[in-house]
Order: sequence, then C-alpha cells, then structure tokens
Amino acid sequence: MHKNSFIARINWPGTAVFVFVGLAWEAAVRSGLLEYEYLPAPSAIGLGFGELASQGILAPDIAHTLISVAIGWTVAIVLGISLGFLLGLSPTARRYSLASIEVLRPMPGVAFAPVGLLLFGFSLKTEMVVTILPVLWPVLVNTIGGVTGVHQRLYDVGRTFRLGRKDTILRIILPAAMPPIVVGARISLGLALVLAVVAEMVGNPDGLGYGIVREQQALRPDLMFAYIVTVGFIGIALNAGMLALAEALFPSFRQLRGGQ
Amino acid sequence: MSSAEKRSDPSEKAAGPAFECRSVTVELLHKFSRKRIIEDISFLVRSGEFLTIVGPSGTGKTTLLRAMGGLTPTASGSVLVQGKQLDGPPDDVVIVFQDYSNALLQWRTVAANVAFGIERALDRREIEKRVHGALALVGLENNAEDYPWQLSGGMQQRVQIARALALRPAVMLMDEPFAALDAMTKASMQDELLRVRDRTGTSFVFITHDIEEAVYLGDRIAVLKGSPGRIEQIFEIGLPAPRDQLSTRQLPKFLEYRYAVHQAIGRGYA
Repeated sequence: MHKNSFIARINWPGTAVFVFVGLAWEAAVRSGLLEYEYLPAPSAIGLGFGELASQGILAPDIAHTLISVAIGWTVAIVLGISLGFLLGLSPTARRYSLASIEVLRPMPGVAFAPVGLLLFGFSLKTEMVVTILPVLWPVLVNTIGGVTGVHQRLYDVGRTFRLGRKDTILRIILPAAMPPIVVGARISLGLALVLAVVAEMVGNPDGLGYGIVREQQALRPDLMFAYIVTVGFIGIALNAGMLALAEALFPSFRQLRGGQ
Repeated sequence: MSSAEKRSDPSEKAAGPAFECRSVTVELLHKFSRKRIIEDISFLVRSGEFLTIVGPSGTGKTTLLRAMGGLTPTASGSVLVQGKQLDGPPDDVVIVFQDYSNALLQWRTVAANVAFGIERALDRREIEKRVHGALALVGLENNAEDYPWQLSGGMQQRVQIARALALRPAVMLMDEPFAALDAMTKASMQDELLRVRDRTGTSFVFITHDIEEAVYLGDRIAVLKGSPGRIEQIFEIGLPAPRDQLSTRQLPKFLEYRYAVHQAIGRGYA
C-alpha cells in the first residue's frame, strides 16, 4: 500500500471524534464526574496493557483467539462456499434444504455452548461448536445468492464459446459470484471473532474472552478493559486484512468498495 | 480498400454458403403452452456476406439468432454451418449480444476478456497475437489493461466484438449490437464492422430494428414479419463498396431501398 494513499485513507474527522471521546472519558473520571468503583480511565487501561504485556500473558491469549478464529472461519467458509455452490447450482437441492436453513439460521450459536461443554468439555472443540454454525450462514447464504444471481447472459456467453460444465463453473460462475462471496466471508470473519470470544467466556477457559472474565473476577477492570480493547483492535485488523486480501486477489473488487 | 472491391465481386461469393437455415421453426414454452415464435425460416448466408435481418419487435429476431447460434433448439427444420447440421453451439459461429455490460466478464481486463474464447485452445504466444490483432481491429490497443467498467458503452461493445473476432469465426451473429449506442458512436461502429468484414472475410448476420442501419450495412436484407415471424422478403442491396456514412446515405438507391424495406415491413412502423 502506498504511503500517501494510506494517509489519505485515514478518516481524520472520525479519528478526531475518537480521540475527543477518549479525552473526555479521561477528564470525566479524573474530575470525579464519572464515579464508579470499577470504571478505569483510558490512561489506566493503557497501563494495563503494559502490565499484561510484561507478564507475557497477552500474546499467548491473542494467539489462542486468533487460532480459534482462523480454524472456525476456515472450516465455515470452506463448508459455506462448497455447500453454497451445491445449493446455488441445483434447484432441487435448494428446494429440499432452504427450509431447514431458514429454521437453523436464526439460532444463536451460543445456545450450543452447553451442548459443546457436555460433549467436549472445556476445550477448543467446544469453542468450534459455538463458532462454526453461526459463522457458516453469511458465507453460505451469500454464496447461494451469488451463484443464483449470475446473469443469464453470462451463461449464453459460456455456451457461444462452447465451454463445458467444469469451465462454466470455474471461469464464469465462480468469478462472477466472487464479490458477494467475499462480502459473506468478511461478515463471517467478524462474527468468528465475536463468537470465539464468547465461547472463551462461557466454554473454553483460554484466550482473550477468558482474559476478560478472569480479570473481571480478579477485580482488575483496567486489565479487563485492556483485553476488550485488544479484541476491538483485532476486529479492525482482521477486517482491514480481509479487504486488502480481497483487493489483491480481485483487482476489480475495488469498484465494490464505494462507501467503505 | 482493394479487399473491399474484391469482396464485392459476385464471383468471389460463389464459394458456397457459410450458413444455411432450412425451414427453421422454433417454439418456446410460454405460460405452460408451446408458443411458435418463428416459422419456416429459410435463407443462406454466403461466405463473407453481410446479411441484415430487420423486423418489428416481437417477430422473433433474437430467437432466430439464438437458434442460429445453437442456444435455442429448433422445433423443426435445420441449421447448417458450412454444410454441417448444427446441434448445440457450433465451432465457427459466435454470438455478439446486445447487452454488452452483461455479456462482458467484468472481473477480467479487456485483454483477458478478448482471450476468453481462445485461452484454453491455443498456446500463449498465439493467444497474445490474436488478442492484440483483435484489439487492433476494433481500435482498442491502448485499453488492453483496462476493466470493462472503466470504458464507455461503445468501447465495451468493441471489446465484445474483439472477443468474438479473436476466435476467428466463420460467422458472427450479432443481436442488435448497436441499439444502446448514441448516433455518432453507432455510425463509427458500423464503418468499423464493415472494415472488419473486409479484412477478415467473416460472414455477418446482423439483427437490427433500424432500417437505415440494415440498408447501410447489408449486402442483403431479410425482412422478418408477423407472429410467428416469417421471412417476408429478402432484398439484394446493390450499393457500392466501400460504404460511406455521408455519400452512401445520400444515394438515390439508398433511399429507394429504405423505402422498399419500409413498405415490406408495413405501414405504422417507423
């Protein structure tokens, strides 16, 4: 990324609001305007980061959460894209399964945490039980939409150039459906982080989610907030990484960015 | 334009038909019943000929073209490409669609779009050569790395024509390719297409509802009429080549043909 364009892409007014809120929060806590026993000032949260880092527990927690996000998200998009293609290409498969999908889709993944706990105990597997199902939906639904939404004319083009079934899928349908698939994958990635953290809070005592709960129970709100802010930054970084990846893989994806 | 003169020599055309429709009838499923769209269509397309098909909307022009391109099956009759009966899209025939923005692969560059039809069949050097040649024929050499959505409508339609040309087809079927373009772009595209025909010897079947366009471009004009559509009349257009937007359109013969085609289509159709 070109340096100038990076600077140009920073939303300065938005950043200013962010800094202002931080300063106001700091001032309100210090002046006693906001007086809660367990609400730390931003400066205290900053010091909390230092404490966690120096104890060497932040990095392993980040690593754990990132790994469970990576596993959950990868499984979900591989499943979602392949199932999405199957359902998108076969009206019969759609007829049989769309009803089931509509029933399962609104189910909150966290509801499966007790199931995971009973089956797998406090483990990464439990975390996956909570993560994968909800993360599957956006990419699955967007893949179905992307595949069924391929313009009829593109099929005509494939036929007039005498493409076989395999080439039609690989060279027309897959690239034509890619923008909605990437959007679905991006939504899924954000969800994967949320659900991994939730799973760590209720199921698998490890990673950033458990860090938040642990510090809360240890009555260390400064450290707890440091964990929360870490989750936030990881979310931002994952989203930015996903966008950069999409643009690198599909140069024409830029036209979709529009209002980003 | 020596090739143009050569082409207009009738003895050169006697090489046999590039394309033939024999009593073609097409029926499409329409609200649970089969509806006859075109009926008993017979004509030849000579090698290197520019045949235009005109007719009001609803006479099955597009259906006819799709049947010729092997996209729509015929209910009866047969379509022959260089003497061989067609089932499915034939080797040497390619369709250029009216809606270029839907027909182009928006995720590919112009060059990659043009390579689409040949990239699996040829080696890389030949592909590059043909892509370059096709882009040069339509005047887009400098846009090879652009994306279709960065181009104007006329340029996008040129990309689609170049993509078809790269295949070096014997016959190009064009479905109202210039209908969405403004008048000036349309005029320059018409001349470009005639030049392409002169240079490549490709036969063209060109559908339009613009009578002047049909007369200007055509060596012959087939008038499609009625529902189901039938061929009402075929005009042999004896205008001199190369055609010219200004002088050709002012020839008394041009106006005569225009009048005659109007008459054949019937009053009330402008």
